[in-house]
Amino acid sequence: MATDTATVALPARGARPSISRIGLWYAALALLGALGLAAWVYELRTGLAATGMRDVVSWGMYIFTFAFFIGLSAGGLIMASSAEVFGIAALRPLSRLGVLSAAACVAVAGLMIIPDLGRPDRILNLFVHPNWTSPLIWDILIISVYFVFSVVDLAVLQRHATAGARWHRRMQVLAYVGLPTAVLLHSITAWIFGLQIARAWWNTALMAPLFVVSAILSGTALVTLLALAAHRWGGLTLADDTRRWLRGLIAVSLIVDLFFVGCDYITVLWGNVPADRSALDLVLPGGPWSWTFWVEWVAGGVVPLALLLVPRLRRLPGSLGVAAALAVVGVFAFRIELVVIGFVNPLTQYPPGNALGTYDRGTSSFELTGRYSPTWVEFAIVAGLVALFAAIVTVGYRRLRLRGAGTAADGPDRAGVRS
Amino acid sequence: MAKKKEPTATPHRVMVIDTNRCVGCWTCAVACKEVNNEPLGFWWNRILTTAPNESTAAAAPASENIDVPRGEYPNLEMAYLPVACQHCTDAPCVKVCPVQATFRRDDGTILVDYERCIGCRYCMAACPYGVRIFNWGDASYAPGGTVGYGADYRSDGRLVFTPERPKGVVEKCTFCVERIDVGQQPFCVESCPVGARVFGDIDDPGSEVSQLVNEGGAVQLHPELGTGPNVYYVPVRKRVPRES
Ligand code: SF4
Ligand code: SF4
Ligand code: SF4
Repeated sequence: MATDTATVALPARGARPSISRIGLWYAALALLGALGLAAWVYELRTGLAATGMRDVVSWGMYIFTFAFFIGLSAGGLIMASSAEVFGIAALRPLSRLGVLSAAACVAVAGLMIIPDLGRPDRILNLFVHPNWTSPLIWDILIISVYFVFSVVDLAVLQRHATAGARWHRRMQVLAYVGLPTAVLLHSITAWIFGLQIARAWWNTALMAPLFVVSAILSGTALVTLLALAAHRWGGLTLADDTRRWLRGLIAVSLIVDLFFVGCDYITVLWGNVPADRSALDLVLPGGPWSWTFWVEWVAGGVVPLALLLVPRLRRLPGSLGVAAALAVVGVFAFRIELVVIGFVNPLTQYPPGNALGTYDRGTSSFELTGRYSPTWVEFAIVAGLVALFAAIVTVGYRRLRLRGAGTAADGPDRAGVRS
Repeated sequence: MAKKKEPTATPHRVMVIDTNRCVGCWTCAVACKEVNNEPLGFWWNRILTTAPNESTAAAAPASENIDVPRGEYPNLEMAYLPVACQHCTDAPCVKVCPVQATFRRDDGTILVDYERCIGCRYCMAACPYGVRIFNWGDASYAPGGTVGYGADYRSDGRLVFTPERPKGVVEKCTFCVERIDVGQQPFCVESCPVGARVFGDIDDPGSEVSQLVNEGGAVQLHPELGTGPNVYYVPVRKRVPRES
């Protein structure tokens, strides 16, 4: 059993952030949260007209951030489960942190949908009148299941870490359930987009595999960042072995991710079907959205790969952290590109295009090629929810650690079991 | 035609638009806007400028503006494609709506329940024809007060039209349920000055719509998507270009 904590030294008491520093951190998060809440109240009063979305680009920042957070939630759970299922001892020390971040991510992702609704007051209709042909209903179901599962898994891991062997079996059973649940979560989220025949950019069978792998990528990278932060400020020690595994996981999933995206590009470019092509041309170098391409392939692709794989770069201090951060940014760019380009690429190439659904004196009520830039309301609400994520992780991390540190039996037990 | 109280036969309602006739005058679009009291910036019905018989987004537009023909003088071509909700038989919007707010009536009309819609806009992402409009904020109307139907309308007990739009719900063409339920034609059909629009029961072999669909070669928009639209278009009979 508890080789678990062998590589994680307990936080020395002095290494934990001082009250004032943590107080500042919480204050900053609370401020962001309050701003987000205020922005949401404003949005409720004004309607979604307060956002940058209109009828042509009718989903925006909330949805791509939602998809992004769903992806982020993968890492921890998959890591914790793989640690058991494939017996990767080096990853065990990160299990609890991973599952904690998974629970926080999926909770935040679920909440992210609410400000996107025009009528959040009718949200219960989802349970009263569910339409089972809608991927959205299945997604809400799997999000709830995944959230409950992560919380249970976290509780069991916690028991296992503190009370030991009695919980081992349960932990292993959960690990085997965890992997397929995570895969399902990402697949169903992918199918929200991938099943839509209307949008050539989305309608590919590759969507679910792509979501799964980019989720593993961004999720692992996020847990890496959290672990590094905990290492820096929270007194967690990251063993070299663990770092090696993280580096490998990020590198491999990044390669597979780029491979999948590349397959899609090749299919579109070779086939040259106008509707597919016009969407891809928006993204490729020279197109108006090519920044997403550069962020995805270079800043979030080639650069982190080099940092992870080239021996000389790999040894630079901080290379793992920078690579993980870049990989997360790259996946975020991919999510933006996925959602927004689906709408920007016109459904019909004929003027005047689609009605916008709002009227501004002196400008056309129609738009041919979509435009989108989020407003401060969207930024504020998303920032508020990101702050919520950070708060959940901080509180969770501290409470779980504190409890661990507080158990008298815990310290010697954990420190002693190195085999 | 239309709705007599026969217990057995529900009509299968279809609209046919003859693109040979359409002159791109937007009368139908404006009439639609009037009768449904559509807020500013809303167009349930719009007239796309195309080249003849282009029903897919095959080529980049000749211009961002309407009424600009395609080609080099003197070989120019232009046609019009009036597009509103296609009332699809296998409608993506119905399939994706998580709360069954968008629903299909027995006569094939696709309607939105204003009281149930949660405003998720998944239907807008799923509709291949870009015909759905969202109430982003408090609707603003042209001066002069409510025009058109001016009253709530319920179908199967569900609120499918209301003159003052609630914020945060989706709406679109209703085939003028208020009119077709009492045996009248949709208002765009009524108002078209050149008779380009025909409406009727495709199950009735004698109706003009079934003639146009079965013998007139009327086609659907994006038939390859399998949505099975109930709006058909009679293709433009092209003349051979004159040698200059
Ligand atoms: S045209 Fe669009 S809104 Fe109308 S039925 Fe088809 S999918 Fe639904
Ligand atoms: S916006 Fe309304 S009608 Fe459209 S899918 Fe959502 S709930 Fe259904
Ligand atoms: S009113 Fe008739 S002619 Fe004018 S745009 Fe509409 S369909 Fe065409």
